[in-house]
Amino acid sequence: MKRSVLLRIAVRHLASLPFQTFSVIAVVAFSSGLAVALFLLAQGLRLGVIRAVEPFELIVGARGSPYQLVLNTVFLQDAPVGNLSRDFLERLSQDSRIRLAVPLALGDFYRGLPVIGTAGNILEIRPSPASPLWLRPARGRWWEKDFEAVLGAGAAGESGLEIGDIFRTAHGTSLGAAWGGAQGHERDFRVVGVAEPVHGPYDRAIFVSLESIWEEHAGHAGEVTAILAYPASYTAAYSLDVSLRRDAQGQLIFPAQTAIRLFALLGRGEEFLSVIVFAVAACALLTTLLILYWSAATRGKERALLHALGVPRGDLVFLSWLEGALTLLAGALAGGLLGRAGAFAAFAALGEATAMDSHVPLTPQEGAVPFILLSIGSLGVFLAAMAEKTYDLT
Amino acid sequence: MNLLQVRDLRKEYRQPGGAVPALCLDFLDARAGEALAVTGPSGSGKTTLLRLLAASIRPTRGKILFAGQDLGALGEKATAWRARSVGYVFQEMNLLRDFTLRENLLLAAAISGIPPSTARERVLELTRRLGLENRLQHRPSALSLGEQQRAAVARAVLHNPPLLLADEPTASLDAENAGIVLHLLREICAGAGSLLLVATHDESVKKLFPRQVELRRAEGITQ
Ligand SMILES: Nc1ncnc2c1ncn2[C@@H]1O[C@H](COP(=O)(O)OP(=O)(O)OP(=O)(O)O)[C@@H](O)[C@H]1O
Ligand SMILES: [Mg+2]
Repeated sequence: MKRSVLLRIAVRHLASLPFQTFSVIAVVAFSSGLAVALFLLAQGLRLGVIRAVEPFELIVGARGSPYQLVLNTVFLQDAPVGNLSRDFLERLSQDSRIRLAVPLALGDFYRGLPVIGTAGNILEIRPSPASPLWLRPARGRWWEKDFEAVLGAGAAGESGLEIGDIFRTAHGTSLGAAWGGAQGHERDFRVVGVAEPVHGPYDRAIFVSLESIWEEHAGHAGEVTAILAYPASYTAAYSLDVSLRRDAQGQLIFPAQTAIRLFALLGRGEEFLSVIVFAVAACALLTTLLILYWSAATRGKERALLHALGVPRGDLVFLSWLEGALTLLAGALAGGLLGRAGAFAAFAALGEATAMDSHVPLTPQEGAVPFILLSIGSLGVFLAAMAEKTYDLT
Repeated sequence: MNLLQVRDLRKEYRQPGGAVPALCLDFLDARAGEALAVTGPSGSGKTTLLRLLAASIRPTRGKILFAGQDLGALGEKATAWRARSVGYVFQEMNLLRDFTLRENLLLAAAISGIPPSTARERVLELTRRLGLENRLQHRPSALSLGEQQRAAVARAVLHNPPLLLADEPTASLDAENAGIVLHLLREICAGAGSLLLVATHDESVKKLFPRQVELRRAEGITQ
């Protein structure tokens, strides 16, 4: 029989049982949406971390938790471990194994936006030797004097500050601890430029000179929170690591490696989550199978009639399959959209706090979801077709 | 040459409690264009005979030849043969409840392989003759029993089948409508050269047919 006729019969059958049809679509949409959302969240976090870590080759900071150091310097979150002394910074800057050492002084904020004291050489950072400069002014200019400030692309929007505006910084509640001292600062900063977006946490930063930070924290002058280091070579990096292990003050981390170790930690949580997702999906599939089986079974008389009118058994099985496939596809599609929307909302919330770029391109795994559902649904339909009793029409 | 030849036909339904003897018909020959009434008391096997002739069920014993084709040997091809060759009016009408009258008819036409434009014309013509032209957009549940019965007749004759089987097609009709339905069935049978068998226990219907097949209650097959 013509497929188009069968399709019209299938659609009519589904429409004649709106509640059942809607239930199947809702159950499938919810479970596949949950799976897609969790998958996207996990994937997005990974991508976000990888993208955020990319510009940093080595990070040198005070001894303490390497994860915390990554959180401080890469994501601009959490309390700094402690400070490095002026001597240490000078020694490292003159070390021949390092071709670029960018100091960072963290801990001050303007309305929740991190203020970063740094040196002019931050403009020399390239994520990889071939890529363009990481940080560039988009409008205005870079700072030239103390108490001039450059806004990250996101910070400009969030703070509402314009070039020429004046503002004052303050200690963050926990972040400022390493610097001691008063909560609010007395000196005015003037905005002189806005940076190009870097698509990462540094978009929320406000860049000022190290000297301005030092001036505001009497007694801590010359100290820095961390140093972004770019080694002359791989061997130089490892040799530096060895010497720093013997140093009382500093530690060196390879952020990419720390991220990988972080993923391993996250992975255990993900395993747990995927067990839950699997359980939800299994429940949803069972429900779907049951409903499909049941609706195929309740159509016994109609199917017998179609058969009596001359529709071959194979077409009847195809008809049942079509009805199941249409509902499953609608559910999977709605679920995909729901999952994407849910993940998008979660990322929007996360992005507001960290400016992490967690965008996930459409993945083949997502495309596979409807096919997996379809194949399992097909099984249910065929089981129903097998179990069908012959119905006598009179 | 006979279009239909029935020899030594027996049907038993298998049930958990044992076989139920349902039909016993030793001999029947009929030619194209003939119209027969199938009569007999309730339970004598009228419906069973029609279902056997439609190749919906297979004989327990004996042979049915239609146009030289052994219906018991059709196997997988029975469905396609039925779609082409048989028009069947069910005792219980059996219209598809989720479809309007028009859709019910067009669907049956599609199953029989009638081209859509021909089918649309034919549906209009038949429903007009059966007084159903104003009910085309209604579902079966909105039709009276008599209207459903006429709809079932329209569905069976759409494709001018060579074998037209009607199971009590006038049971729910008043005298006037019964007349219209029987006239239509006879006309198609004569015009298209079909063989018509109408199961009935209505004496006034029986009298309208020149030939009758009288069934008796079947007994178990004796070996
Ligand atoms: N599917 C079935 N399984 C078992 N027995 C059946 C089945 N169908 C019919 N029978 C039995 O076969 C016999 C003949 O039934 P059938 O329906 O052919 O009679 P009928 O002449 O059409 O009766 P009525 O005039 O009441 O419609 C009856 O005894 C009936 O109970
Ligand atoms: Mg009967």
